[in-house]
Amino acid sequence: MVEVRLEGVTKRFGRVTAVNNVNLTFGDGEFTALLGPSGSGKSTILYLVAGIYKPSKGRIYFGDRDVTDLMPNERNIGLVFQNYALYPHMTVYDNIAFPLKLRKTPPEVIRDKVLEVAKFLHIHELLDRYPAQLSGGQQQRVALARALVKEPEVLLLDEPLSNLDALLRIKIRSELKRIQKELGVTAIYVTHDQSEALAMADKVVVINRGVIQQEAPPDTIYNEPRNVFVASFIGSPPANIFPATMDYTEEPCINLPGGTRHCVEDEYASVLWRMKPSKVIVGFRPEHAEIVENPVDGRPVIVGEVYTVEPLGRENIVTVASEDIHLKVITPPEVRPEAGELVYVAVEKGKLMLFDPQTEVNLRYIAREWSQGG
Amino acid sequence: MGEGIGEGGPLVRGTMGIVIILALLLASLPIIMTYSTLILTSFANTIVSSPWVKFRFTLENWRLFLEGKLAPTAGVVYTPEDILRFIVNTAIVAGGVTLVVLAASVTSAYAFSRMNFFMRSGMMRLLILLHAFPGVALIVGVYAIYVFLNSYIPRDYSVYYSFIFVIIARASLEIPMAIWILKGFFDRVPWELEWATIVDGGSRLTALRTAVLPLVKPGIAAVAIFAFLAGWEDLIYVLVFLPPHEKTLATYIESQLGSGTLETTYLPVVAAAGTLYLIPTIIFFVVTQRLLLETMSGGLKG
Ligand SMILES: Nc1ncnc2c1ncn2[C@@H]1O[C@H](COP(=O)(O)OP(=O)(O)OP(=O)(O)O)[C@@H](O)[C@H]1O
Ligand SMILES: [Mg+2]
Repeated sequence: MVEVRLEGVTKRFGRVTAVNNVNLTFGDGEFTALLGPSGSGKSTILYLVAGIYKPSKGRIYFGDRDVTDLMPNERNIGLVFQNYALYPHMTVYDNIAFPLKLRKTPPEVIRDKVLEVAKFLHIHELLDRYPAQLSGGQQQRVALARALVKEPEVLLLDEPLSNLDALLRIKIRSELKRIQKELGVTAIYVTHDQSEALAMADKVVVINRGVIQQEAPPDTIYNEPRNVFVASFIGSPPANIFPATMDYTEEPCINLPGGTRHCVEDEYASVLWRMKPSKVIVGFRPEHAEIVENPVDGRPVIVGEVYTVEPLGRENIVTVASEDIHLKVITPPEVRPEAGELVYVAVEKGKLMLFDPQTEVNLRYIAREWSQGG
Repeated sequence: MGEGIGEGGPLVRGTMGIVIILALLLASLPIIMTYSTLILTSFANTIVSSPWVKFRFTLENWRLFLEGKLAPTAGVVYTPEDILRFIVNTAIVAGGVTLVVLAASVTSAYAFSRMNFFMRSGMMRLLILLHAFPGVALIVGVYAIYVFLNSYIPRDYSVYYSFIFVIIARASLEIPMAIWILKGFFDRVPWELEWATIVDGGSRLTALRTAVLPLVKPGIAAVAIFAFLAGWEDLIYVLVFLPPHEKTLATYIESQLGSGTLETTYLPVVAAAGTLYLIPTIIFFVVTQRLLLETMSGGLKG
């Protein structure tokens, strides 16, 4: 339908900078998730795209059209608010029909369209009710119907599932994705739930304190976080992150907690040689490590003492204390060490992540920028 | 007796209930007595001042009152008063005050709730201060304005001017509190509701009309009722600013009870006037009950 582009967009509220110099492209017909903690500026970006807020700086484009100074009603968007914002004094039918009435659509056309979208979302039996008589999931679908009925070019969704229980959330999640693909509408989906973002989106944009941290497909966000923030925000439990010192004798080697050393051979090696940082920030995901009795092969190994074991049925989360660092490891159900036991945590080959201690950027990205920049 | 003690049961509660009802009756007895005296007297051939007074039911007082015949027993010469005109005057003042208060307070409360402008919170505090000033204290200043403006009004329009002046002056006393009440109601309407309308293609005014106003209806009704009663009951402003022959029910009753007139007044007729004067308050009582229920049950869902 249309591509949405933010160019150098900044939004300030008094002294608070809610969104800071953001450059973003939401692809035509793509489902993009805006992911970030509370107060990171997700809703603000959505409202900027909607035209409810005006950027303090920068431009916003829908395709080639500069919409920065256009009112929301001149942008052809559908918006589902965090709290749904259904009109409490109108029936479901009137709520859905409202955008069409404002456009002076003939009554017969309104009827047809409302019925069509209501059937599509399985709410056609609720049309006579008032919002207060609906469950959270039903209200959500009414809000969605109101956004869809005017056939918007861009669909904006602000944490639409946050008020639902876990089961309903997973059910509606796939429904929403299906609807979006069927309509081919450009969708921007705000959430602070990473599993939602990773499961639904074609592209995930991670944002913190109004600054874009990473913009990539879910796989990349998960496997190659661009910086420490993304690594420690994504995953459940999130990645283990700790500082370590380096030495450079024959190879760049990391001094891991517990007294072991790991010498880097993979694509990190060249960056490390070039930058020669005396310290790095090390990270790995709990699911990329295992607990072993003897250190083997060339895998990075950390020695520590079992601190707690949380059995979750399908797997266990084992916390290992090494020096003053606590590491989490996900183990198969049968691997259930005793607290206090001395163990080795072995990280899968190639799954150790290294970050620059100053900028906290993944050294792999620095390497790529160098190789691109020549 | 036994069964009541263990749980603090029905017997104990029953006794407590009776005590409470008696206490409430006792406390409200003076009010009940005055009102029943007033209303009964208006339908009686004499003053019903106690439960033992024997009286005959009659509509005579109401007839005399509506015909403007006020002192039928005193035998003095009188000109019948134009009671219907007084009733219309009262309605004009009360209705006018209501309209002015609503127009001013709905718009300013919306602005106070939704817009950010210079000195907003300072002005909100100023409103309380304004509300705290008694209307009587302001009358000298208001009178000065009246006289000043009056010098520009052609004589023929003088009566209209008086009415408009009374309405606006009386309304301005009510407006500060009305803004406060309504701002509270506006604050409870989520911003998103308005934004939804604007996103859906409406203007800000459409949003106010279709999304916001229906939800603050109980507040608007409350403010309207208060304003109407203020205009209906007002004595001082009407007395000072309306020409002497343009009375309202309040000033009319007052004129009947003033010094020198009390002896010649036939009180059952004044009681009829008083009862009529009470009617809006009674309606108000009935309406607010419904209103309160509506406000509580039809609340906004976030
Ligand atoms: N209208 C406003 N006036 C002042 N500050 C605002 C306004 N809207 C947002 N902010 C501030 O901007 C920052 C970003 O807010 P925003 O609502 O975009 O966060 P969010 O990521 O949507 O958070 P949440 O997940 O809690 O909804 C916050 O610090 C917030 O306090
Ligand atoms: Mg938000």
